[in-house]
Amino acid sequence: MALQITTEHVEGRVPITVVALDGELDASNFERLIEEVRGLYDAGDRTLLLDLSGLTFMASSGLVALHGIVLVMHGDEPPDLEGGWSAFHALTNAVAGGERQAEVQLCGTQPAVTRVLERTGLDRLFVSHPDRATAIAAI
Amino acid sequence: MTDPGAALDPARVQRILASFAPATDRLQVAVVDAAGFPIARSTVHPGSPGDGMAPDADLMLDINCAGGLVGRLMASGPATTDPTVVSALDALAAGLGEMAEADYRSLAPELAQARLAQRSFVSLRGPVVPGYDLANHYEAAREIGGDFFELFQIHRRRRPVGIVIADVTGKGIAAGMLMAFARPVIHAALDASRGPADALERTNRILVDEIRSGLFITAIAGVLDVTTGRLRMANAGHESPLIVPGDDGPISAVEGGGVLLGAFRSLGAPELDIQLRPGDCLVLYTDGVTDAVGPSGDRFGEPRLLTTLEAARRGSALDIVAALRDAVADFRGSVPPADDVTIVVIGRHRT
Repeated sequence: MALQITTEHVEGRVPITVVALDGELDASNFERLIEEVRGLYDAGDRTLLLDLSGLTFMASSGLVALHGIVLVMHGDEPPDLEGGWSAFHALTNAVAGGERQAEVQLCGTQPAVTRVLERTGLDRLFVSHPDRATAIAAI
Repeated sequence: MTDPGAALDPARVQRILASFAPATDRLQVAVVDAAGFPIARSTVHPGSPGDGMAPDADLMLDINCAGGLVGRLMASGPATTDPTVVSALDALAAGLGEMAEADYRSLAPELAQARLAQRSFVSLRGPVVPGYDLANHYEAAREIGGDFFELFQIHRRRRPVGIVIADVTGKGIAAGMLMAFARPVIHAALDASRGPADALERTNRILVDEIRSGLFITAIAGVLDVTTGRLRMANAGHESPLIVPGDDGPISAVEGGGVLLGAFRSLGAPELDIQLRPGDCLVLYTDGVTDAVGPSGDRFGEPRLLTTLEAARRGSALDIVAALRDAVADFRGSVPPADDVTIVVIGRHRT
C-alpha cells in the first residue's frame, strides 16, 4: 500500500511542478501528500500537475487529499479558515458555472481512479490531460 | 504493533526540523515514519541538497514512543562525523520521541472513549418489519472511522422504513465527529422531506453552509414502502447499491447518483425508483468491503463481492451478510482492517 511521491520542476509556458504519484493513495498516506504540496506552495510553486499514471488505487481519503491540495495551491488554507472556505465555495460555484480551476491539473489518470473521481463528482474540479507531455504543452 | 494513536505529527516535525538546521551541503536531516515513508526534511525544496535522503543516510536514529518505533531520523553529509552534531541529532531524535509520547499519553484515553461513543452511534438493531429481513454487519477499524448506517421507521402513514448508509472520507476524530453531526441531520431530513433525493439535498446544504471540516460524506438514503416493496433511493457519491433478484436473474447495480455531500452547492442526485419483488434482496456496503487488503496487497474488489453474493444468494438476508463478512475476513487474513466495514442487506420474503 505504499505511495511514492516524486517531484519534478519543468518549464512550460509557466513553471510547472509535476508531482507523480506511484502506488496507492489511501487513509495511511493522504495527509503526507497534502504536507508535500504545502511544502511546494511555501517554496513558491504555483502550478501543479499531478501525474497519476502510476496511481493504481485511490481510497475515499484520496478525495480529501485532492481537495486539500486545491485549497493549498489557492493559498486559501487555514489559519484563515473562513476565508479558505468562502474561497472554496467561490471555486465550486465557478465549477457549477462550467469553469475549472487551473492551479492543480491532472494527467494520466487510470480507470480505477477515474471511476472514484466520477462517482463522487470531484472530477469536475480538475482539468484532466491524457499524459504528461500533452499536459505540459497545454498548461 | 505500535498503537496507531502513537505517531509523529508531520507538520510539527517539519517545523522543528526547519528550526533545527537549514539544509546545507554539509548536513541534511530527514524524518521518516515507522514504515519508512518520509514525513519531513530539513530542506524546503525538492531537488535541492537533502532531497536524496534515505536509504543511504550516514546516520540513522530510531524515534520511539509508547514502547514502539514511530519513526527514524536520517542524517547525511560530512557534518555527521562531527561529534557535536551527532549528539545534537541524538537529542533531536529523543525530543521527537518525547513529543509523540506526550501527544499519545494525553490522547490515548480520549481516543478510547471516542471509539466507544462512535460505536454507540451505529444502530446495530433495526426495526422488525413484517415481510422483510433486515440484516447488517458493522466492524470499526482500529482507528476511528466514519461509517454509519441506520434503519428506522418513518413516522408517516404506512410507516415506511428509512434506510441510510454513509461513509465520511478521511479518518480519525474529525471524521468521527462529522459522522456524529451528520447522522441525525440525514435522519431528520429523511423523516421530514418529500423523498430521499430531497433529504440528501437538504443535508448537503447544511454541510456546505455550516461545516468547514475539509471532509466529505458519501451516502445513500432510501425510503421503502413495506406494503408494495417500492424503494425510492438517492445516491450521493456512494458505491452503487446492488439488487440480487429472487428469480435467479443477474445481480445488478442500481446506477445513478450525484456528487458527494459537503463539496458542492448542489448534489444533482436523481431519485432512483425501484421495485423490490418477493425474494429480492438489496445490498448496501461501504468501501471498507471492496478496499479491504489481503496479505499480498490485493484489494477485495468488486469481482470478489459479486462472486460472494452469487454463491450466497439463495440464503436469507442474514446468510448473505454473514457470507460477505466472512469472505472479507478470510481475504484479509491477519491484516488488520484499515477502514470501517459496513454491510446492510434488506430481503423481501418470498411469500
